[in-house]
Amino acid sequence: MPEPAAAPVLRVEDLTVRFPGVPAAVVDGVGFAVGRGRTLAIVGESGCGKSVTSLALMGLLPPAARVSGRALFAAAGGGVDLLSMPPRARADLRGNRVAMVFQEPMTSLNPAFTVGDQIAEAVVRHRGVTRAQGLARAREVLDLVRIPAAAERLRAYPHELSGGMRQRAMIAMALSNDPELLIADEPTTALDVTIQAQILSLIAQLQKDTGAAMILVTHDLGVVAEVADDVAVMYAGRAVEAGPVTDIFDDPQHPYTIGLMGSMPALGRRTGRLATIPGAVPLPADLPPGCRFATRCPFADARCAAERPPERAFGPAHRAACWHAPLESLGAAA
Amino acid sequence: MILSGERPILEAVALTKHFAGRRRLFGRPAAVRAVDGVSLRVRRGETLALVGESGSGKSTLGRLMLDLMPPTAGDVLYAGRNVGALPAAERRALRRELGIVFQDPFASLNPRMSVADIVGEPIWLQGDLSRADRRAEASALLRRVGLRPEHGDRYPHEFSGGQRQRIGIARALASRPKLLLGDEPVSALDVSVQAQVVNLLEDLKAEFGLTLLVVAHGLGVIRHMSDRVAVMYLGQIVELAPVDALFDDPLHPYAQALLASAPNPSPRARKARVLLEGDIPSATRPPPGCRFHTRCPHVRPVCRELQPALEEVAGGGLAAGGRAVACHFWAELAGAGAGARAALPSPAFARRLALFEARSKAAAPAEPAPSRGPAP
Repeated sequence: MPEPAAAPVLRVEDLTVRFPGVPAAVVDGVGFAVGRGRTLAIVGESGCGKSVTSLALMGLLPPAARVSGRALFAAAGGGVDLLSMPPRARADLRGNRVAMVFQEPMTSLNPAFTVGDQIAEAVVRHRGVTRAQGLARAREVLDLVRIPAAAERLRAYPHELSGGMRQRAMIAMALSNDPELLIADEPTTALDVTIQAQILSLIAQLQKDTGAAMILVTHDLGVVAEVADDVAVMYAGRAVEAGPVTDIFDDPQHPYTIGLMGSMPALGRRTGRLATIPGAVPLPADLPPGCRFATRCPFADARCAAERPPERAFGPAHRAACWHAPLESLGAAA
Repeated sequence: MILSGERPILEAVALTKHFAGRRRLFGRPAAVRAVDGVSLRVRRGETLALVGESGSGKSTLGRLMLDLMPPTAGDVLYAGRNVGALPAAERRALRRELGIVFQDPFASLNPRMSVADIVGEPIWLQGDLSRADRRAEASALLRRVGLRPEHGDRYPHEFSGGQRQRIGIARALASRPKLLLGDEPVSALDVSVQAQVVNLLEDLKAEFGLTLLVVAHGLGVIRHMSDRVAVMYLGQIVELAPVDALFDDPLHPYAQALLASAPNPSPRARKARVLLEGDIPSATRPPPGCRFHTRCPHVRPVCRELQPALEEVAGGGLAAGGRAVACHFWAELAGAGAGARAALPSPAFARRLALFEARSKAAAPAEPAPSRGPAP
């Protein structure tokens, strides 16, 4: 159940990202909100703009990217707009009150420094403490993410750790300054399934303990079902459907959401062929002016290709942008 | 469908592969024991999955069985003949009957060759067709995997990941194989594209009477595609079972843990579960006794010392769909793992998915065309 209207930790409105030379916006008018202690999953396939969305919020896109919209971060000490604030102020926030966990811990940890030094650096940078105090905090957070023999691992280099341990170290670093918002971009995609389960349960536990809000970027509907409170489904730069996780799974409205869920092979007994979404995501130059899913949607008609569908409500917090939802109104005949 | 008395199409007999490990300052380099004494029979016409985590040896076993690398010990039998003992010419001929589809459609196609040449090369190697005939055959293959014949003039970089995987499949089919190894054939693809390729592989299997050996870590894909599953851990098979038996009631503690780790199919099925602690140990020094004992929640003293054999536990012979497990205490532990968590789709989702599929069928040609334009 959605919590009563406490002010969200982050409210994103009309986020749009354009790159020079790309005709269509890579992220086009995306909006969502995430509350304290809650997890919002942004789910979609390659090229849907989910990672660009998270990088835009962190201010980590290349300078050529043109970002517009608002991202109101309302944490202790007043609200700010992450998108319009000066780069220096944003750097003060990053790794501090807003932290990020990336997919590939091997490329996001510095191979030349020990794990302890890297975590301590983040603590020293934001808290103005001594290096010894930073290392003490590093040891604390390594304990927190249940890395065995934390005191020894402080002196380990990233390559000396297994994939799962490295991802724990990344999470420890992200948590080292008690962030109010954690953005995790495919945090378990590179991991084996038993390790993925460990990391997901760890993240859920830590989030419960610290009350941080989390944005989880993923392509995996299984991970969404496992940990999300709310879901935003993205396709070709737009959020096509959003709502509480049970609404999305029990009452999906957008044809893309339905096709995506139907193409996921189930763990239960085989029931028949997998549903498929025909074709592939069009190139930005080939996107239709209306609904971007129109080129692959079996329900699309002339209006879909020409006019952008507005977001409509299908529940208290459940919205979808489709001209034909609910699909039952159409029937199966072409 | 499959005669139990029939000779297996492919068989591994005590296959072992050790790789030279990192050189140490003193002493001999430690060998990585990637596959350690594995015996396995693949039945004609079945889909057999090798499943396990990184380092379990599943890919190495698949490649050994296709004669793509020499084993350290043990034998591979193809239709009853020992592959390693065959004269070179016969061995080459035999390899044509074994095709492979790789995981990474970006790394496994030569960027300097046109698609028609990539697909035509295995046909050319057979040497008995004219250039025009080869070309026609390559076109037919491209059409069969859902591409258009004129795609043959293009180069791999012009295609999406899913289309490249179709090219890889067409190439694998070009030598008219009897058995196809899919080494993580869909794990690099997006979910919706993955479903297209899974369906294509199943159609081709039926059409050409193929046997499929699938190496994979995605449990959903395995449940969907396979008839039998071999669960591997640190270079050995710990459980071998028909797919439904395994997913409904896994017997080996590792198989139980693996299935319990699979993400939820539904947010309503969330519940606390017992998770494995720690990582898979190094294959250079696998633990003594049962290799899983360092992470097993049911470990007892004997497990640390005595390695359990893969023994048949049910069914009239492994070849007839029985199952085998390598655990000293499987009988006592049966039921300790609940199996994979399944969830029924909600009525609204089921209804709309049916509409989606009915509409797709009505709107599109039989196979999803990768791009616009009528397929001839």
